Amino acid sequence: MAVYDVVVIGAGNGGLTAALTLARAGRKVALLERHNVPGGCATSFVRGRFEFEVALHQLSGMGTERMPGPLRGILSEFGVLDKLEFVEMENLYRVVFPGGIDVTLPTDRQGIVEVLGGLFPKEKDAVASFLDLVYTYSLEMVQGVFFRDPLISKEKYPTFFRYTFRNVEDVLDEFFTDPYLKAILSVYWGYTGVPPRLMPFSDLAVILWAYIEFKPFHLKGGSQALSNALLDAYLKAGGEARFNCAARSIEVEGGRVRAVVTEHGDRLDTSYVISNASTVHTYLDLVGSHRLPQDDLLKIKGRTVGPSAFTVYMGFDCTPEELGVFETSNFIVATIDMDSASEKMRTLEPQDWAMFSCYDVSDPDFSPPGTCQGALVCLQYADPWYRVEPHAYAETKYRYADAMISLAERVFPNLRAHIEECEAASPLTHMRYLGHPGGAIYGFDQYAKDSAFFLTNQSSIEGLYHAGSWVTGGGFQPTLTSGRSTAHAVLKAIKGR
Amino acid sequence: MALKDVLHDIEGYDELEREIEILRKYGPDHVERAEEAARIMAVLHPPRLSLKVSEIIEETPSTKTLRLVSAKGDLLPPFMAGQYVNLFVERDGVRTSRPYSISSSPTQTAYYDITVRAVEDGFVSRLLLEDTRPGDVFESTSPAGTFTHNPLFHGDDLVFLAGGSGITPFMSMIRETADRGLDRKILLVYGSRDPGDIVFKDELERIAARRKNIAVHHVISEPPEGYTGLAGFITADLVKRLAGDVTGKTFYVCGPAAMYERCLAELASLGLPRKRVRTEAYGPPKNVTAQAGWPKHVSADDVFTVKISGGRVLSAKAGEPLMVSLEKAHIQIPAQCRSGECSLCRTKLLSGTVFHPEGARLRKSDRQFGYIHPCVAYPLEDLEILI
Repeated sequence: MAVYDVVVIGAGNGGLTAALTLARAGRKVALLERHNVPGGCATSFVRGRFEFEVALHQLSGMGTERMPGPLRGILSEFGVLDKLEFVEMENLYRVVFPGGIDVTLPTDRQGIVEVLGGLFPKEKDAVASFLDLVYTYSLEMVQGVFFRDPLISKEKYPTFFRYTFRNVEDVLDEFFTDPYLKAILSVYWGYTGVPPRLMPFSDLAVILWAYIEFKPFHLKGGSQALSNALLDAYLKAGGEARFNCAARSIEVEGGRVRAVVTEHGDRLDTSYVISNASTVHTYLDLVGSHRLPQDDLLKIKGRTVGPSAFTVYMGFDCTPEELGVFETSNFIVATIDMDSASEKMRTLEPQDWAMFSCYDVSDPDFSPPGTCQGALVCLQYADPWYRVEPHAYAETKYRYADAMISLAERVFPNLRAHIEECEAASPLTHMRYLGHPGGAIYGFDQYAKDSAFFLTNQSSIEGLYHAGSWVTGGGFQPTLTSGRSTAHAVLKAIKGR
Repeated sequence: MALKDVLHDIEGYDELEREIEILRKYGPDHVERAEEAARIMAVLHPPRLSLKVSEIIEETPSTKTLRLVSAKGDLLPPFMAGQYVNLFVERDGVRTSRPYSISSSPTQTAYYDITVRAVEDGFVSRLLLEDTRPGDVFESTSPAGTFTHNPLFHGDDLVFLAGGSGITPFMSMIRETADRGLDRKILLVYGSRDPGDIVFKDELERIAARRKNIAVHHVISEPPEGYTGLAGFITADLVKRLAGDVTGKTFYVCGPAAMYERCLAELASLGLPRKRVRTEAYGPPKNVTAQAGWPKHVSADDVFTVKISGGRVLSAKAGEPLMVSLEKAHIQIPAQCRSGECSLCRTKLLSGTVFHPEGARLRKSDRQFGYIHPCVAYPLEDLEILI
């Protein structure tokens, strides 16, 4: 009979770092993954001569060797840094309102003030004060919360206590009058799927601060290289991985985890499980709603499944310059009404908001010589896709992708003519590969009520823990970090027993 | 003092707590979302299909169509014209599989047709043509593959170059175009050995006669005496003559392995950009040792040992894809395209080296971290793999 200290379900970012942390601590670990490739969202696929990056746009928290960020620290601890080559992006992002404002923000604070001050001279001072707030907030957050200051108080960290749950729209209104300026500074709302009216200021502040302070990065070989490196380190640390092997159930007895049974019927005895699968699947399917403690049912009750994404992956037969693409990260925003933009995430109407990443701008080796690739993405809920007849699915997907390309062509007019390979992924595609309800890529919606202050990575079933976007923020740095911290919680629990 | 002791001092915290309380009372409990992904994918893309042969249709002396229905009696998943299913078969105690393009129209999924031609040493085709009867049940993958019309960049002016049984994906595309009255212009140039060998001949002629946007030309490589139609192979000259100006047209090529070499070389002389030439995956090379980059010191009949993590050891011929050697040893790994492109069989190589022919579509980081695609990986020395 197979007995493990811990069974980790799912080899996404959170599952990989959880399994690796445990294996490196000398624990006997089994990592189960339903797909045949590790990474979850952090993966790639090949079409023709292109290898398309699936999910990573801008990796946060890396920092430079001189000024390392938290993620660099974690990857270095895991011993995978020397296997990976990181590429720093030159600029933060470009925002284009087709036919209107077109601005590229650099990655330094003063530079942003200068660029935006040039475009909005009357509000230059306000930009500087806003960034002061972003910095003050983030530093208070890091010192008070991240480093767990025992003397944390409203008096010591006034900005943190005042601004955490304010919504982005209110804070922007406090500083600015021009709606375009507000839209430019809050464009990262699209990284969480929550429009400025509902997005907690803490999220925007920390995202902006982290990208400015530690710079946006990508890596050679894309996010699959990171997933492969983490798995490799895990195997070298003695971990056991089973691919094409979904968990079928988590066996619970007397309120405690006893085993995980795989889809092939193998029983893996264990007292600890870290699930990187959605909490919805973990609770309702793997544990079973009839056996689920009321507490856990309540944990997910009232939370709403967050957005998935629609991405058009394009391989072009020319260089970025020939397409007129000079930035890695381009936001194309055809409206300043972010509420209406976010409502379209729930329909199949053409969207007014998209992001176009062209990795070859910062990494000319990303695609074969003389070519480049672009990922054109917008967030979208799966709901309207449920109503598409199975036989109309392919056509609907292509029609939707076509509308997105048309939006992008308002900024880059020749995209279509240069497409050599092209694939579209809908929320249902994400659902197929991730197994998440709604094909959600960030877990539950990330409203203020869903922020870290209200979440726990532990079930009320003893020994059952969670890692990944369903119990933390979405995105690479949060999920990679979450696996490690959940693993530490499990290590502590094992020691305490 | 810790953060948890001062949470209520954060502005807005108490309101959010109340909101959470209300939502926990009245909000959605997700119970209706149990098995959601599995339920939806069971309709759109189940991992496995159970297919029952409902009819066997003789197309030509060497070719039959197997009409496959769901053994469960429900509709089969939707597919795009040009996609294939990988059909699992068992013969002489060995379980293996072959990808077959669906030749029927995607406008209905009460059945999928696969059209099979007898091939020399055809381990699987013989089983399907000779030993299969209505009522037999096979397991397969869901439809997959990227040899389909992509309206985002292929345009509507299409030239199909088919050889022999390579007509099958085109038949599905042509049937779809005719059934749905699509506004696509299709020129099919279809190479067969002899006139009696042309699969779907009558139906193609009927469709071409009825649809002005679909033209069909047969090219016979071994014409009988007195044959007056087009003869020989599909050449650049012939394509130019039939298609006229090739600018803006998208070419699709599907046929036996030998046809690609010849046909793609011909197309190259037309100066078409890469994106205008789409090729179907065509399986492992017939003779891998003839491939560019094959090391001279290894011959096709060399036999190496393959150790599987966990202990089993088997022997594998250098000239045979590793997947086949595994199957002969009764070891199943996931298989789908059997051409090196779908990545479903991706396997970790722990030691040793393998040869991948050009065109094996491995991720860059998979090469770096020692992953192989066993369906087109050939052992060059003793190996150890992780399964």
